[in-house]
Amino acid sequence: MSAGTCFHCALPVQRANEFQVEIDGELKSVCCPGCKAVAELIRDTGMSSYYELREAPQPGAGKPADDAADWQIYDRDDMLAAFAETSGATAEATIYVGGMYCAACSWLIETTLAKTTGVSSAEVNPVTHRLRARWLIDKIGLGGILATLSRLGYDPQPLAPESAARPEIAEQRAALKRLLVASLGMMQVMMFAVGLYAGDFQGMEAGMQRFLRIVSFVVTTPVVFYAARPFFAGAWRGIVARMPGMDLPVAIAITAAYVGSIYAMLSGGPAVWFDSVVMFVFFLTLGRFLEMRARHRSIDRSTALSTLLPNTVTKLATDGETIIPASQMLRGDLLVVRPGESIPADGVLTLGATTVDEALLSGEAEPLQKVPGDDLIAGSINLDGLIQMRVDKTGSDTTLGTISRMSERARYARPAFVQVADRIASYIVVAILLIAVIVATSWYFIVPERAFVITLSVLVVTCPCALALATPAAFATAGTRLSDLHLLITNGNAIEALSRANRILFDKTGTLTRGAPAIFSTVVFDDAYDEQQCLQIAAALETVSTHPIASAFSVTANDMLATDQRVVIGKGVSGTVAGRSWTLGRRSFATAGEDASEARATSVYLASKHGLVARFDLDDEIRASARPTLAQLRKLGLSLTLVSGDNAGPVRRVAEALDITESHSNCSPADKLAIIRSAQSSADTVIMVGDGINDAPVLAGADTSIAPVHGALLAQTSADVIMLGESLQPLVDGVLLARKTMAIVRQNLAWAVVYNAVALPLAAMGYVPPWAAAIGMSVSSLVVVLNALRLNRFGAA
Amino acid sequence: MNILYVLIPLALLILGGAVWAFFWAVGSGQFDDLDTPAVRIIMDDDDKPPEKSES
Repeated sequence: MSAGTCFHCALPVQRANEFQVEIDGELKSVCCPGCKAVAELIRDTGMSSYYELREAPQPGAGKPADDAADWQIYDRDDMLAAFAETSGATAEATIYVGGMYCAACSWLIETTLAKTTGVSSAEVNPVTHRLRARWLIDKIGLGGILATLSRLGYDPQPLAPESAARPEIAEQRAALKRLLVASLGMMQVMMFAVGLYAGDFQGMEAGMQRFLRIVSFVVTTPVVFYAARPFFAGAWRGIVARMPGMDLPVAIAITAAYVGSIYAMLSGGPAVWFDSVVMFVFFLTLGRFLEMRARHRSIDRSTALSTLLPNTVTKLATDGETIIPASQMLRGDLLVVRPGESIPADGVLTLGATTVDEALLSGEAEPLQKVPGDDLIAGSINLDGLIQMRVDKTGSDTTLGTISRMSERARYARPAFVQVADRIASYIVVAILLIAVIVATSWYFIVPERAFVITLSVLVVTCPCALALATPAAFATAGTRLSDLHLLITNGNAIEALSRANRILFDKTGTLTRGAPAIFSTVVFDDAYDEQQCLQIAAALETVSTHPIASAFSVTANDMLATDQRVVIGKGVSGTVAGRSWTLGRRSFATAGEDASEARATSVYLASKHGLVARFDLDDEIRASARPTLAQLRKLGLSLTLVSGDNAGPVRRVAEALDITESHSNCSPADKLAIIRSAQSSADTVIMVGDGINDAPVLAGADTSIAPVHGALLAQTSADVIMLGESLQPLVDGVLLARKTMAIVRQNLAWAVVYNAVALPLAAMGYVPPWAAAIGMSVSSLVVVLNALRLNRFGAA
Repeated sequence: MNILYVLIPLALLILGGAVWAFFWAVGSGQFDDLDTPAVRIIMDDDDKPPEKSES
């Protein structure tokens, strides 16, 4: 608050004008020497437009790490072998770039690396946060590239080639090729079809008609045998497994229309349906493609899991410590883990004591004490002690690896709406073919010479495009719009459930609150000091601590400097500020105080050698956006409930602050699930908003679930919707957009049904000439798509 | 109209060429990133570094 926010990383600036950077002739304040260096580097390399083009940064994004890691280690040969593929004089590696948040970052990285000597190519994918770099071995090392990224304020992690392999890239390439074949084929065949219809309308030489049919057949064949292959493969799998899926009717419809058309072509029958075949294949392929893209978008959160582990570990051997690539670590190895490093493998603590942050796995912000003999989990952060550990499980055998695999499975689930749309469309095609046969036969007995024109009109006018597109078009547009609004949909059912929901359950920690402690009151015991001074002294002392509590003090603007700081693990910190020695921490550590702290909030005590000076009451701070968001949700007719595993005191405080009337404290996951079930049994549709492993079954039990992105990763993998950013506002937008989407889906379906109900009898009775049928079909599809695209304007006005 | 007997097969040949070119482009990784190109066009590469005054 004191002096605005950092121009580079958007964190609060502690002292105005202490660090400044001149950009485009203007002085900008930055928060620290690190950000100053990064901003100057960006300016001096001529890339200031990064600041104009980037999206509003999340506070802290792009802030360089305080301690420059030792990147030199990556220049060693065994590191090069572990992380890069070399061929001759060049090496190539995939690097996960942490801290990227928009396309401007990828531009900055690519342009900077392109100007670095020795780097021959650098490509960044901003969606997957991966950098593919190729360089000349004798000009620059892997370490040099990583150091460059680090200087730009990013957190690079080289990926071992096996974890860099991207099956989804191969999948996307195949899908793109299929989509292109289907779309080009459709365009060509439709063009020939227009010629054939025109011929029906005004007469055509028999030779030319035959020629156009043969050409249509030639173009349709690759569409059926290449673009539509996944449908046949799916249908065959269904038959083999004796569980026919919706691919079967699709395959039957395609086959029937294709074979029927070939027969008609060879025997000179009344009509060919090649145009229906290609159009059907094209729209289904397009739907599958859009769905695949949505699925891939959610993948990277799970692959990011493996990047939480360090790439190098310090192994303790008989001849001292050596640094080895993490992939070479074996069961039984003794490792040294320094404060601030992440635990590289599942194992047992053998020497030393520390506190670890397991928030990633448990979602609990409170660090855990660990002593020799305790289990350590890969991916958790060693906060404050230098420890030794013995390795039990590595890589994919770890708890973290199991979680990755679970999320892997989750991403292959197909959104139900696509399945429904596919099924409806395929039934409709079969129905259309049947109706066409009936119409053709009937007219053959009434007016034989008109039979084939009318059959043609029926086939064209009833093309299932409008119906097949009604739902997917609206859902795809809604999905894109929601991701603009910071909600990522991982489950297609979510939109429908969001639109119906009338009750929202909120978890407290990390959802309604920030999940990090903040000071909510300060009690000063010694009259010689005021509140501000106490805070400043405490903040100065805490600068050395990596404990989460220290972050609560770091927001205080500070002119004090501490010396002789010493961290006592699990207790607190001591040091000298302004010529006096101080202790800060648990009351037993500071000195004995007079009041007993009840089960209310965590308190930290500040003491000089004359006695207790101040008490800071810490609590999880309620998000600034929580109150307005909840008020809006209430206005939308949703009833709100707070469920928390926390004690009654903090839960009541949050509930009162946010006007939530119904709150439950001390809830186990089973209790939360029971609350959801009882709400559902009274016909409520329940949205669960929460993070943390404790909530995973609860998230799955609700009709739909939303997890904030900073929460434990497991929660995200079971949540239907992932919410990005710090604000809760996307909840309101999400509910409103979901309601609008379902309204549009209903309009689209109603339109398609009415259109077909009117057009089909008219066509069957012979009132619709083929050219009018073609126009009617195109217009009806267009209406549906344009109606769906209205969702893109949601919230933009 | 007989010219169509020549032009349509010709068009199909060109179509085949276009499909081949696209397959090659996909295979060489040009379509792996479908998100950045939309924004890349608005980014200037030609900012001149400011005059170096110090350092």
